[in-house]
Amino acid sequence: MSTIPINTQESPPFLLDLIYRLKVKDVMTKEVITAQRETPLRQIQYIMKEKGITGVPITDDEGKRLFGIVSMDDIIRALDGGYIQDPAERWMSRNLIVLEDDMPLQFAISYLDKFRYGRFPVLNKDRELVGIITSRDIIIALLVEVNKEVEKLEQRIVQPPSKPGEEARRIYHVRKYDFENAGKASAGIKKLLMERNLDPKTLRRISVAAYELEMNLIVHSEGGTLTFRLEKDRVEIEAKDRGPGIPDVEQAMEEGFSTANEWIRSLGFGAGMGLPNAKRVSNEFTIDSKVGEGTTVRAVIYLPGQSAS
Amino acid sequence: MKLETVLQRIPCTIIVKGKGFDELDLRSIVASDLMSDVLTAVDDRFLIVTSLNSEQVIRTADIVGAPAVLLVNGKQPQNGMVRLAEEFGITLLSTPLPTYKVCYLLGCFLESK
Repeated sequence: MSTIPINTQESPPFLLDLIYRLKVKDVMTKEVITAQRETPLRQIQYIMKEKGITGVPITDDEGKRLFGIVSMDDIIRALDGGYIQDPAERWMSRNLIVLEDDMPLQFAISYLDKFRYGRFPVLNKDRELVGIITSRDIIIALLVEVNKEVEKLEQRIVQPPSKPGEEARRIYHVRKYDFENAGKASAGIKKLLMERNLDPKTLRRISVAAYELEMNLIVHSEGGTLTFRLEKDRVEIEAKDRGPGIPDVEQAMEEGFSTANEWIRSLGFGAGMGLPNAKRVSNEFTIDSKVGEGTTVRAVIYLPGQSAS
Repeated sequence: MKLETVLQRIPCTIIVKGKGFDELDLRSIVASDLMSDVLTAVDDRFLIVTSLNSEQVIRTADIVGAPAVLLVNGKQPQNGMVRLAEEFGITLLSTPLPTYKVCYLLGCFLESK
């Protein structure tokens, strides 16, 4: 079992904070598959194969009191030694190293690095078995948390104005079918503009265009970026995706034409109004699409009181 | 039409009290289960009547400037929906009545004015 490459003393503060903040119980697998003392090793071998696990805690009938653990190594030795029909009790490992559910994750990481075991049973305060933790559990939990943090950092990156006259620019990454975050980019754009005291009608038009284009990226594209640019007299929203491309742009612009499937419709989208609606609220609207390559939709909305060129 | 009128005429439970709940004035009503259609509404400050109980309803309400959402058919909001309504300050209601009945009752009231 390879070690988890995290220095638990000198890693970045965020990571240290994370491995102390997360408790073993937040990360462990709670549905523990157990066997009893009298269970034959052969049966445990089958359980491992069927469930795709490499260690089975041996407990009382209720699965609470822990007596030992049978690992893949024990099974291999039993096959070698010809005692695979013996009950678990005879050969299980009894010198167990266990974790407590309230311990910080940092303990689990250093245990995995320090001991040669691939998994640790987790007990609660009453010494009852409540879970099992493997390096896989830890890696998944850390990945999820680190991803969340990276996402926050990405949102905070503000690209400096590159064109003369550009007052603000934001680039949002939008993923296919990511309904959980759907609308976040448009909400961000709306918030940014609200600080500028734009008139409500224009603000609404910009928000609708941004939202429609964002939803299009989520529902129809392979993912891409939504870029927002604010200039003195206009707002430009550009949705650029990595595919699949629109075979017939004219048809896609027809109201009611949609390629959305049932479950997307069940979410309230895919009525075939997205592109026409985005166009309706825009002063300039262009679609550039190539099948197999991708689509770029550009919507421009003039700001009132400014003579647009 | 005041939000108060809706509360008086439609049997409903209040799930989230949004911004300006007590004096909310609604200019019109949009009844649809398709948020794409709601997004094409020309007005703002309307009540959304829908049987769709996902987060996207609240996001749509925020984008179009609809201050209140009424879920019909006794639909209960999905988890994220309440959190988002609170975040955006959007009033969220639920009624056991179906869409048609809600529209009929509110329509009669608006006609009589």
